[in-house]
Amino acid sequence: MTASNEYRFQVNLSGMIQILSNHLYSSPKVFLRELMQNATDAITARTEAEPGYQGEVRVELTGTGEQLTMMVEDNGIGLTEADIHEFLAMIGQSSKRGQQALLDGETSFIGRFGIGLLSCFMVSHEIVMLTQSAKGGPSMEWRGKPDGTYTIRQLDTQLSPGTKVYLRCTPDAAHYFEADYVKEALFYYGALLPYAVTLHHDGVQHVVNSETPIWLMDPALARSRRAEVLAFGERLLGEKFQDFIPLTTASGRTGGIAFVLPHAVNLNAKRSHRVYLKRMLISEKAENILPEWAFFVKCLIWTDELQPTASREHFYENEKLEEVRSELGDALRKGLVDMAESQTERLQKLIRLHALSMKALAVQDQAFFAMIHRWLPFESTRGHRELGELIDEGETLYFTSSVDEYRQIHHVASAQSMLVINGGYIYDSELMATLPMTVHNVRTERLEPDQVSMSFTDVPPAERNQYYDALRLADSALQRFRCRAEVKGFKPSDLPVLFTLSQESSTLRALEKASEESTELFSSILGSLSSGISSAGYSTLYLNVNNPIIQRVLTAPDDQMTPIAIEMLYVNALMMGHYAMNRQELEVLNQGIVRFIDWGLRANTDRKGDA
Amino acid sequence: MKTEMDFEELMDEAYGLPNGPAKLGMLEEAARVADVNGMEEEAYEARSEIVETATFCGYPMKALIAFSWQLGKFDQQPEEYDEETLMWSYKWILGKLSSFPEVSRDKIMELLEDFGQRFKSFGYSERSYWYYRFRISMDLGELEEAGSSYAKFRTMDRDFMSDCEACEQDEMMRYFILTGDDEKVLEMAKPILKGRMSCAEIPHLTLSEILMPLYRLGRTAEADKHQQKGYRLIKGQNDFVRSFAEQMDYLARTNPAKGIDVLEESLVFAMNNEDPFAKMLFYARTAPLLRRWADESPEYRLRLPASFPYEGDPGDLHKLADYFAGYAQAAADKYDQRNGNRHVSSLLG
Repeated sequence: MTASNEYRFQVNLSGMIQILSNHLYSSPKVFLRELMQNATDAITARTEAEPGYQGEVRVELTGTGEQLTMMVEDNGIGLTEADIHEFLAMIGQSSKRGQQALLDGETSFIGRFGIGLLSCFMVSHEIVMLTQSAKGGPSMEWRGKPDGTYTIRQLDTQLSPGTKVYLRCTPDAAHYFEADYVKEALFYYGALLPYAVTLHHDGVQHVVNSETPIWLMDPALARSRRAEVLAFGERLLGEKFQDFIPLTTASGRTGGIAFVLPHAVNLNAKRSHRVYLKRMLISEKAENILPEWAFFVKCLIWTDELQPTASREHFYENEKLEEVRSELGDALRKGLVDMAESQTERLQKLIRLHALSMKALAVQDQAFFAMIHRWLPFESTRGHRELGELIDEGETLYFTSSVDEYRQIHHVASAQSMLVINGGYIYDSELMATLPMTVHNVRTERLEPDQVSMSFTDVPPAERNQYYDALRLADSALQRFRCRAEVKGFKPSDLPVLFTLSQESSTLRALEKASEESTELFSSILGSLSSGISSAGYSTLYLNVNNPIIQRVLTAPDDQMTPIAIEMLYVNALMMGHYAMNRQELEVLNQGIVRFIDWGLRANTDRKGDA
Repeated sequence: MKTEMDFEELMDEAYGLPNGPAKLGMLEEAARVADVNGMEEEAYEARSEIVETATFCGYPMKALIAFSWQLGKFDQQPEEYDEETLMWSYKWILGKLSSFPEVSRDKIMELLEDFGQRFKSFGYSERSYWYYRFRISMDLGELEEAGSSYAKFRTMDRDFMSDCEACEQDEMMRYFILTGDDEKVLEMAKPILKGRMSCAEIPHLTLSEILMPLYRLGRTAEADKHQQKGYRLIKGQNDFVRSFAEQMDYLARTNPAKGIDVLEESLVFAMNNEDPFAKMLFYARTAPLLRRWADESPEYRLRLPASFPYEGDPGDLHKLADYFAGYAQAAADKYDQRNGNRHVSSLLG
């Protein structure tokens, strides 16, 4: 047996850099954020050593075409020669803490520095860094190339402490180096930084971030500075807002402003909140930092307690995040509750625009529902109304549980002036079901289509007796459709019949329809299922005693004519109710039409014969 | 007022909604509009969505009905429709079929064979067949048969039609819950609890399933943590009625006040659930919880959903408990009769 030899497999560094830089980050533009982050971390590290130290970040654009160069300079802690070696080790191979730092998204200065610099290879074929550590030692120069080669040397001159990074723009990245773009991007990433960020270009200096707003430390102060906060929101988030709610957590380590969106939003719209970690932008599409129901706001959040993912574009879904999310949700909810108490008009305006979001919260939170229920809009047989108005009618609030049921009911219910709410839209039936538990003296009741007859007038027994024979004929004609006939008086009188079915009979209809279309095996399984559905599965055909045709059908029973008339009325009712018909019903329709044509023609011939 | 939306509008509205009864209602309305207007392709499309939505929000019967229709259409014109989507749905249907006690054991087995034969004909791995055979045997209480299918499917190759690893792991764990091997349950749960395996429903399901095994092993501190995390993941979602039942089972023994919260927050989902098995388990776990709570807080009036079909006084918790227990027992008897054993009623004990 030969001794086993140990080898180290080779990693193609330029390939690795390619993979990391292009797949870890969402877009090349993040190189600027990474440079800003490195600068910020360096300043933070220096401020820790020298309290009161005033940091500064300077960005300079020089040259044109192939000479176009960007320089990012900070006056932070700088790197010693040993630091440089350490961060290089990180890029090259897994050092003692490198790999883990990447996975944990570690935020320590050195741990992050190299990864950040790596992203610059997406826009530059050479990175030059000049640095002087605040701890002393010689000034250093580092030159790196994306193939993984680099040079490092001591400089003859002594620089002031800090770091400068020079990037020479690649042709396809030129737009990331345009002054207007860079200025906007610097503001975008660094708007909340507590020290000056300046851009120098063509001999002009632009201050990117003006003074840090005072309400950043204490979001409650934002209330008294409405105009300023709205303007800030517009500049940063690019939308003209009219309202906002300040947010803070108990620890005070996370705060923010929830700007109320000035337009209605779809339930599945991406929630994109702007989040700053330690004052640096970390994400513009953080979806998970607020509860699901909070889709009516776009938030500006700053935090120093959450852990970013390796790409620094999102947060880890951990317990801390859950805690922050629920606290921010509470703060937002509290803002709404305060409005409900003291500024109802403001809240009403908000609800008009964001009813869906408010309903989503109300479903989860009964106290909140109780507070805002009067202003929530619902569709009803009295039109689109606010719930408060509907409650004030003083009637039982009937609601359907689906759009389909509402469709079946609404025409007849309207004619009877019955108050029915369409519960088919999201959250509506849940809200109606819980309303009586939430608000005193309100009754709600789930209405099924077959219950709409509650409001019909009964036919007196003596009169009903006259129709006995006709009804018996009708029942036997309808039996094969699992349907029975009933005589009632209802509006509108030009409606001869009305077909209604309970939930069970609706399920049965669906089972039958599917059975007809399906394979033998599935049909027999559907058959077993329908055997489990109770006899409540009968549908009802209401004959309107107020209708002249029905009067004639009822008063002149005929063994031959009545069953056919009833069958035709039945399929007519199905069509009017827009029900999908099964084969048997379609056959009745076809035969009936032919038969009526036949009778019509025969009657015509008979008359001619008489003449 | 306009009450009739057209097919596209309805589908758009449905796509904008999260899974739930409202979305399902929109889809059913869309299918109806398509049927009435003879739009067969659209009717098929709407039903594909119905099958998926209904499967994941507590309406297995609606899923089955829509799927039956689809399969019939597919068999008539297989070139018109995509078989992979349909066969993937078939797994959901098969997985829920045993929940309906009206469907005989023979029919279930016949459907399993139909499923297996179809998978074979499309060239998919036989693993799915054996995996579902394993699951169905567990549902029917045939643990020996389940054990041999378990041994078999694990040796076979996964393919793109296989359930995800996290789901399979959870089902395998369930097997050891049924055989009563709590230590083994926790061993199987480990990759899920460590976060190495997850999907849309895992660890949601797992976190509730392991509560009783942990309780029996005396590891309540761990269980409490999983209970909290698990409940956060499933709260307010009607797809997790079984999990709510498992939560209540545990909380009735450790923290009945919290259990009552779970009950009040999720009873409406159980009540409206079309899966009679999940509903049975929920009602079965409700009864002892109410009795326990009646001892601690005799004055308590349980908040019942508006349309809950109970005529009695919601303040008499013992009577209410009898109602729930009675419902569960009646349901369990139906299963026992179908299965020809006492497996399901033994789960209620």
